[in-house]
Amino acid sequence: MMTNKLKQAAAAALAVLLCAAFPACASAPASSAAPGSSAGSSQKAPKKIGVLQYAVNASLDNCYTGFRKGLAESGYEEGKNLTLEFQNSQADASNAKMMAKTMVSKQYDLVMGIATPAAMALYGAAKSTDIPTIFTAISDPVAAGLVQSLQKPGGNCTGSSDVLPLEGQMKMIRAFLPKAKKIGVLHTTSEPNSTSSLKTFEKLAPKYGFEIVEIGVTGPSDVEPSVKTLIAKGVDCINNFTDNNVVNHLSALLQAANEAKIPIFGSEVEQVKDGCLASVSIDFVALGEETGKMAAKVLDGAADPAQTPVYTVRSGVPVYNKQTLSKLGLSLPAGYAGAKDVAG
Amino acid sequence: MDVFLKLLTGILQEGLVYGIMALGTYVTYQVLHFPDLSVEGTFPLGACVAGAMIASGLSPWLACAAAFACGAAAGGVTGFLHVKLHITDLLSGILTMTGLWSVNLAVTGGSAVLAFYNRPTVYTTGPAALIPASRNSLRALAVAAAFCVLMKLLLDRFLRTKSGLLLRAAGDNPRFAVALGKDPGNQMILGLMLGNGLAALAGCILCQREESADIFSGTGMIVMGLAAVIIGISLFSGIRFLKATTAVVFGAILYRGVLVAALQLGLPTNYLKLLMAVLLTAVLVGNNARFAQKGGKRDVSRTEL
Repeated sequence: MMTNKLKQAAAAALAVLLCAAFPACASAPASSAAPGSSAGSSQKAPKKIGVLQYAVNASLDNCYTGFRKGLAESGYEEGKNLTLEFQNSQADASNAKMMAKTMVSKQYDLVMGIATPAAMALYGAAKSTDIPTIFTAISDPVAAGLVQSLQKPGGNCTGSSDVLPLEGQMKMIRAFLPKAKKIGVLHTTSEPNSTSSLKTFEKLAPKYGFEIVEIGVTGPSDVEPSVKTLIAKGVDCINNFTDNNVVNHLSALLQAANEAKIPIFGSEVEQVKDGCLASVSIDFVALGEETGKMAAKVLDGAADPAQTPVYTVRSGVPVYNKQTLSKLGLSLPAGYAGAKDVAG
Repeated sequence: MDVFLKLLTGILQEGLVYGIMALGTYVTYQVLHFPDLSVEGTFPLGACVAGAMIASGLSPWLACAAAFACGAAAGGVTGFLHVKLHITDLLSGILTMTGLWSVNLAVTGGSAVLAFYNRPTVYTTGPAALIPASRNSLRALAVAAAFCVLMKLLLDRFLRTKSGLLLRAAGDNPRFAVALGKDPGNQMILGLMLGNGLAALAGCILCQREESADIFSGTGMIVMGLAAVIIGISLFSGIRFLKATTAVVFGAILYRGVLVAALQLGLPTNYLKLLMAVLLTAVLVGNNARFAQKGGKRDVSRTEL
């Protein structure tokens, strides 16, 4: 009896292992059968794309939404002639690397990375093959080593970059808080995006009469104590960058800032929805859309990534949160009367 | 089929590199019975040292030697804390691991990810260049296999030397080492240096494949190393002609294989760590059951593998 059960268990285990091998082999014929069934003559040849997003984060999600939209507008529709594999590495670099390698092994026609660590993992895995890498939501692709220059990427990798409209942001902070002196900034030392934003911010500060007080954090557990330290240092407000680690712990920031009755300025609209005072922010859906169109051109063979300049967004639109504004007892500055209220 | 083959090559390549680290874990965990947590810091240390050296234009082969040396030094610190300062084994590892975080950041010059795309690596220079660049995955596999086999043979050789025998004695029966007039503490430090040197070397070789060093790459390495040792020893120890060191490398490959297979089957990323825990438990329980089946109680506690 016992041995029978063991045999059954062994057979089940074997079946699982076989299943692991089988879909990988079976996927090729299945997808090549698809275009025959949808007999559209103008339809583009079917393609497969692997998308790797670094972490769950509202603006990154928006990028992905936009990306699919952009692809659809250029004639690649999911379920028709486009197979999308989407993976989220849950902010774990070793997950990202493993997923990147797996995607490259599957010989997709194109891989796309959302946020710097994901794009770097994909580029690292794909650069020795002929699979093009497209990236989005990256502040400084040159510093990350993904492209040689924004005009001429040089490698089989290009995409879109969202340089935060930092000057617009600082101008807005000045307008909201005419008497403020110190802006507090939290940045994660492991995120190149934040480090380069910080440098720009520090350079801009004297022009607008600000002093930047910055604290570098290394991980999730540092965020809360660091924001309290910032407040203890007497900052008049806090400004966020598109820092995954910091933005993921926005509630800790908001709680501490609300207690101290100082505003937080966000780096994108989602943060303002969640309770930040205001932001001059980038439309990430539109950014993703442009990236999707770019990817479609690469898929068509109409564009060579090495020669395709990185699409950069530098200007943003002001948005604010009316609830937060009244809670802080502030009023909308004159120049920003047209700003959109995004309070939920 | 091609995709399957490619996935398999990837698993083998990564498994062999992690196998180098598993060899180190074998020395600390299986030979010395030392649960060494410093690996979580020495693995990225190897990557960061290699990254910094290669980025500044030094030879990748030299970087491998330097990574091993730095890892060994860090392992020496763990050993020193435990043996000389009498700090418990777990705590010494934790202290080293925590301290190394800052050291790693200092090595990379403050950035957590240090890319060195298109620089010469062990995969593109020296003997590896004999394989044409178009066979890239084969190249990676060959380099990983060469390093892993070399380290395995060297380790086998070392364990047979007088020093190696003393190391085994220090783990199995410290009193015996004392009776020989040798200090088992020094052997323990030596073993930890060896184990962490190998972990750093694995980190160094892995990061050269990705052409970027990441200070987060150490996360999960303790589990990875232990899993490789436990799976390897449990599943393959019955095979006579297979040395424990070989079994451990097989364990590492198998472990990577299961992870990739799970992702292929559509397991959400969030459940990966749970799968690792379940897998390890299954192997441990299966192992205990097998010994029980062989008849008779073993006079060793079941919690002691």
